[in-house]
Amino acid sequence: MAGSQLKRLKASLKDQGIIGPQKSKKQKRQNAQDAKASNEKRIQRHEALASIREQFNPFQFKTNARGPKFEVTTNKPVSSREAMGISGRPGLTKAKGEERRRETLLVEMQRRNKVGGLIDRRFGEDDPNMSLEDKMIERYTREQQRSHKKHSAFDLEDDEEMGGLTHMGKPLFDDDDAPKYLKDDFEEDVGSGDESDGSQTDRRALKRQRLEEALEAMGEQGEGQPERKKTKKEVYDEIIAKSKLHKELRQEAKEEDNELRAEIDEAMRDLRPLLFDRIKPPTKDDKPSLVIAGKDQATLDREYDIQVKRMASDKRAAPTEKTKTEEEQAAEGANRLKKLEEDRLKRMRGEKVSDDEQESEDEKKQGGDDDFDAMDVEEEDEFGLGQGIAGKAKKYRPTATELGFDDEDDFLIDDDLVASGSELEFDSDDEGEESDEDDESGSGSGSGSEEEDSDDDEFTKGLLTESEAKQGIFRLPTNNTKGSDENGVPYTFPCPQSHDELLEVFKGIDVKQLPVATQRIRALYHPKLASDNKERLGNFAQALVRHVNYLGNQYQPTWAAALEGLTRHIHSLAKSFPIEVAKGYRAIIQEMEQSRPLALTVGDLITLTGVGTTFPTSDHFHQVVTPAMIVIARYLGQKIPQSLSDYATGTFLSILALQYQTFSKRYVPEVMNFTLNTLCALSPSPKAFTPKNTTGFFPLHDPPVGTRLPKTLPPDAPPARKLTFSDCLPSSQPPTLQAKLSLLTTTTALLTSASTLWSQTPAFTETFSPALQILSSSYPAPLGKFTSPLQQHLTRLLQISRLSRRPLELHHHRPLAIRTYIPKFEDSFDPNKHYDPDRERAELAKLKAEHKRERKGALRELRKDNAFMARENLRVKKEKDAAYEKKYKRLVAEIQGTEGQAANAYEREKAARRKKR
Amino acid sequence: MPAATKESALASAGKRKRQENGDKSKKRRKSGGDEGVDLKTQLKQLESEILESRKHYNNIATLLELAQKNNEDNSTAIAASETLCRVFVRLLAMGNLVKKREASEKDATVTEWLRERLADFRDVLLRMFDNEKLALPALLLAMSLLKVEAQHLDDRDEPVFPRYFFTKVIYSIVQSPVEQLREEFAEKFIDEYDDIRFYTFEAIADFLKDRSEDLDEALRTIIFNLLLNIDDVPSSNDDLDTFYIEPPSSKKKHPVRSLSQHKRQAQDAWLALMQLGLSKDQRKKILGVMSTSIAPWFTKPELLMDFLTDCYNAGGSISLLALSGVFYLIQERNLDYPEFYTKLYSLLDADMLHSKHRSRFLRLLDTFLGSSHLPAVMVASFIKKLARLALNAPPSAIVAIVPWFYNLFKKHPLTTFMMHRVPRTEEEKAKIEEEGVEDVFLAWERDPMETRAIESCLWEVVQLQGHWHPNVATIAKIISEQFTKQAYNVEDFLDHSYGSLFEAEMGKEVKKPPVVEFMIPKRVFTKVTEEEEKQGLKDSLVAGLWDFGTA
Repeated sequence: MAGSQLKRLKASLKDQGIIGPQKSKKQKRQNAQDAKASNEKRIQRHEALASIREQFNPFQFKTNARGPKFEVTTNKPVSSREAMGISGRPGLTKAKGEERRRETLLVEMQRRNKVGGLIDRRFGEDDPNMSLEDKMIERYTREQQRSHKKHSAFDLEDDEEMGGLTHMGKPLFDDDDAPKYLKDDFEEDVGSGDESDGSQTDRRALKRQRLEEALEAMGEQGEGQPERKKTKKEVYDEIIAKSKLHKELRQEAKEEDNELRAEIDEAMRDLRPLLFDRIKPPTKDDKPSLVIAGKDQATLDREYDIQVKRMASDKRAAPTEKTKTEEEQAAEGANRLKKLEEDRLKRMRGEKVSDDEQESEDEKKQGGDDDFDAMDVEEEDEFGLGQGIAGKAKKYRPTATELGFDDEDDFLIDDDLVASGSELEFDSDDEGEESDEDDESGSGSGSGSEEEDSDDDEFTKGLLTESEAKQGIFRLPTNNTKGSDENGVPYTFPCPQSHDELLEVFKGIDVKQLPVATQRIRALYHPKLASDNKERLGNFAQALVRHVNYLGNQYQPTWAAALEGLTRHIHSLAKSFPIEVAKGYRAIIQEMEQSRPLALTVGDLITLTGVGTTFPTSDHFHQVVTPAMIVIARYLGQKIPQSLSDYATGTFLSILALQYQTFSKRYVPEVMNFTLNTLCALSPSPKAFTPKNTTGFFPLHDPPVGTRLPKTLPPDAPPARKLTFSDCLPSSQPPTLQAKLSLLTTTTALLTSASTLWSQTPAFTETFSPALQILSSSYPAPLGKFTSPLQQHLTRLLQISRLSRRPLELHHHRPLAIRTYIPKFEDSFDPNKHYDPDRERAELAKLKAEHKRERKGALRELRKDNAFMARENLRVKKEKDAAYEKKYKRLVAEIQGTEGQAANAYEREKAARRKKR
Repeated sequence: MPAATKESALASAGKRKRQENGDKSKKRRKSGGDEGVDLKTQLKQLESEILESRKHYNNIATLLELAQKNNEDNSTAIAASETLCRVFVRLLAMGNLVKKREASEKDATVTEWLRERLADFRDVLLRMFDNEKLALPALLLAMSLLKVEAQHLDDRDEPVFPRYFFTKVIYSIVQSPVEQLREEFAEKFIDEYDDIRFYTFEAIADFLKDRSEDLDEALRTIIFNLLLNIDDVPSSNDDLDTFYIEPPSSKKKHPVRSLSQHKRQAQDAWLALMQLGLSKDQRKKILGVMSTSIAPWFTKPELLMDFLTDCYNAGGSISLLALSGVFYLIQERNLDYPEFYTKLYSLLDADMLHSKHRSRFLRLLDTFLGSSHLPAVMVASFIKKLARLALNAPPSAIVAIVPWFYNLFKKHPLTTFMMHRVPRTEEEKAKIEEEGVEDVFLAWERDPMETRAIESCLWEVVQLQGHWHPNVATIAKIISEQFTKQAYNVEDFLDHSYGSLFEAEMGKEVKKPPVVEFMIPKRVFTKVTEEEEKQGLKDSLVAGLWDFGTA
């Protein structure tokens, strides 16, 4: 497309059809005729010209000289601009910037160093885009809005008529259809729907507009024009009067309407049946009754509502519990126990027993406790169940086993709860019968089956069951107010809150009678009797725990039953006060650990035994059992026995540790260490033990002097007995042969049960072969009668364990999937964008870029501003200079003119004079 | 002539003084009430007189006498020696004790006399070290005297450390029965000043050499403790910058400024002590701090090699302790210990996991077995042996070693066969079904390469998964779970004990009601009656094996 610029321009103009061959006159005329087409054509022409102009101005676009940076294939539509690689329109932007500066910066410049001035706030005054018409409309609407905001248009009380003060005192719409106009638009619209009316409204709007325009024009002309016929006041008065008249008229009309409405309302009663009750015969409606009914209706409704609400809040009528057959009760009990057992297993495995379940159960229990009326609920309680089965335990035991629940103990224990209570009380009962007539008379032992009858005797008996307690309680004050029974156990006690108080209260009571006393206290301060009894009994339970420890420290062999009773009481209390009892036990355990970890007393041993029975020792973790176990293990692991008593204590703790683990079969290394050491210490062979000849890796302690058994037993050797707590007390006497033999038998028995307990453990061989080794190598034949059963037992178990041992296959896990990273594809990838996976970094980069851009932009703007200002200043200066120059020239010219004139005049004068002369 | 008059004046002054003195002392004896005030004024007078003129120099002798009266009245002695100290400091500062060549004969006599008195005063001070109440002030006085002597006893410009006096001070300190004195000395002087430390080492070494024949056990312990207290080894020459007596700056190479000289002195002192033979306890103590505060003092730690090897071979806890010293030598001096791992393996005995030094040993063991280039057979031996030991170990030890096993398994994947061994052939399987498996591990084999542990399995750890302590059981279970963790930080598990485990349990307050056994057992202590036995009730284990007595 070679050719000069001019040629190309011509060509493109021709292309666009802007220039072309000359048209004939006819064509011209035709064109002129259809104005519409011509208009379109004109626009078209304009556009074409603009594009040509753009095309031929090489400075119009800023293009990248080398074309676009990347060849990009995208699925986005390519705009022509991008295709050309145009990156800006410098001319346009420059012009725009210049314009903007002129608007802002220039104004500012001009206003600089100037104070005050007027700001024209008239709407659209400076807006060149608005035509005069637009301005007027705008002003009118603004004004309307303003007045509208202040008052409601329909406020009748408002005396001031809006917009009434203008227009030379004439009402704006005081023409033929004024009243109509004054009516609401609403009414109008409702009233008429035909077209003519629509046109009318249009016309009216136009008229209004025109009026407005006139008004505005007038306003702009100024108010102070003197050609008015009326004064302002007159105008106002007139307007006010008129508007008041209108208002009155409107009010009247309204009142009329109201009256009419009232009339219709009156008639409504007659109309109603016609409208709604068409089916009912009109004869039925007698007015007075209707009125009454209407009044009744309200109250009735309210009553009805109340009733409904009451019913909703009422307890649902529940079907009464079916009296269960014995089978059902047994099954239910078995199920409950099964569930408890499952929970226990769960806890043993360290799983969480679902809390909500337990909580709901607790709640249920709690609710049952609080509910005094719900006797039947009470009977479903733990103990009530036991009572039901009690008599028939034997009969139902098989059913329980059938259910796969073979821990027969449970039933016996429930049975026991009642039975043991009676047993415990038996002596006192018998004796009490003689002394205390009205209380014990009817009790007997046989009437236990009948609940009503059993009230009294159960109170005195057990109180181990809650229902019993509750029933018995109410008689308490009348029954046993004072005095004491045969054994010197008073009937009433203060409730001891601490151990000191407890010691005070129990002073003078034989230890053996303590369970009775405890029982009485529990009855006296049963939580249902007074609100603070709960707290009291909790403290009492804590004190009792301590008291058992205290009594244990002065242990007498005859106290076994009493301590057992107390322990069981604590257990029973623990059911209602678990936290308190746990705290009591934990406090004692803490003391043991802190003050005497390696010198436990008999009381401690008894306390630890109590812990073992009260709390489930099979749990994976237990707040009381775990610390207790740590104390036991610490003693067994760290105590280096110095005397036989230490061995006895350790042996007791070993037994206890085994008992703790009976159910869960957990391994206790410390027990093994201790028992093996005991065996070594007792063995008659004088040679020193080494790990090699015991084949075990337990730490050997040098035994104290005098613990070894003789190699041969004397013929008059006393028989071995069981160890007692008296063996645990340190004594100065050298240990007797009997004590040693007893220790040996106990240890062997202990090892027997330990080996049975842990027979399934995978390292059984390594654990127990040292024991066998010690027994076989260092116990001579005369002692064989003590050791051989264990030896045989161990040999057998070791054989079994060897046969049943398998290589470990611990890692049959599902193989872990190798971590894969799927490459991430962008659907709309744009090479200009950054895809930084690090979000923060990306954001930072973005911010940085933005900052840079902004900074550059701001700098550029500032530079341009400066340039603009310099330019403007220069322009102003030039103007000024030019003006000055002009003035100067003018003055010079003027002077020269005058001079010239003067010279001329002079010349003339001279000539004239010369002439004269 | 003037000299003669002076002398006579001096003598007469001395007489008068003595007279006065006698009066004063008589007076003092008479009135005990204003004794303190008297004493003070008297001392002040004596002091001022001495400083006034040389005539009164004999007052020094009086003061010395007063200062020696330790036994009756401590305050007198202290006040007198303080005064004396002040006097001598002044005299020294004035240069009165410096022998000058050009001085007249009489002056020389006076100087000589004064020097003798100074020596007397030193002896008095040193003797005070034996007195419990006087020792501490005497020490301070002696040290300040030392400082002044260093500066002014010679007419040299540079101070010279008075070694002779200092050696005597150290001898007295060491031999003093006052324990507090040594503590004070160590705290205020040895720890503070580098030169004091330097000369102390020197003096102790000398002392030990002098007295090697008749050194009794108590003295040895004292020296041992004193040396043990000196533990912060400076790291470079630049650290040696605090001096009690500034060494001559002219000599850049003064031994006090050189770290290696310091070390040599320390090394000499320690060697001198060790050569005397040590008790078992001392040995343990030495070994305990060997790698932190003794070996760093040695310029030639190789000298410790024999000692350490002997200890390492001794067995028991001494071996455990010596290990860190041996390791120090291996690390720092590239010591090549023959059959190191065999020896290390032999340390794994029955008492190891019960030992006090367990965590220390396990830390080192972790370092020694940290290399991934060790033969898996050997690592397996260590694992298996420790697992065996864990069967009889306290929970705190189990807790420490199981995560360590885990790390080893991760590092030596070959050893994981100990946890997971699937029989490969049908015959093998059948054989196992029929005969079970014997543990092929040779527990008594000394060489960790020959134990066949890698062919065995870790049944022990599986048994410990049923340990009574919940946390131990949980930790033991990591062996049978998937090995997803990179490694455990063994340090987290090392320092536990029964006590700390117990504290951890008791630290939690009981908030949730604990679970209570749902059955109340019929029998706790008493035996089951026959009737109940018929019902299937059995004695609990405790009741069965223990006689609680009967009602």
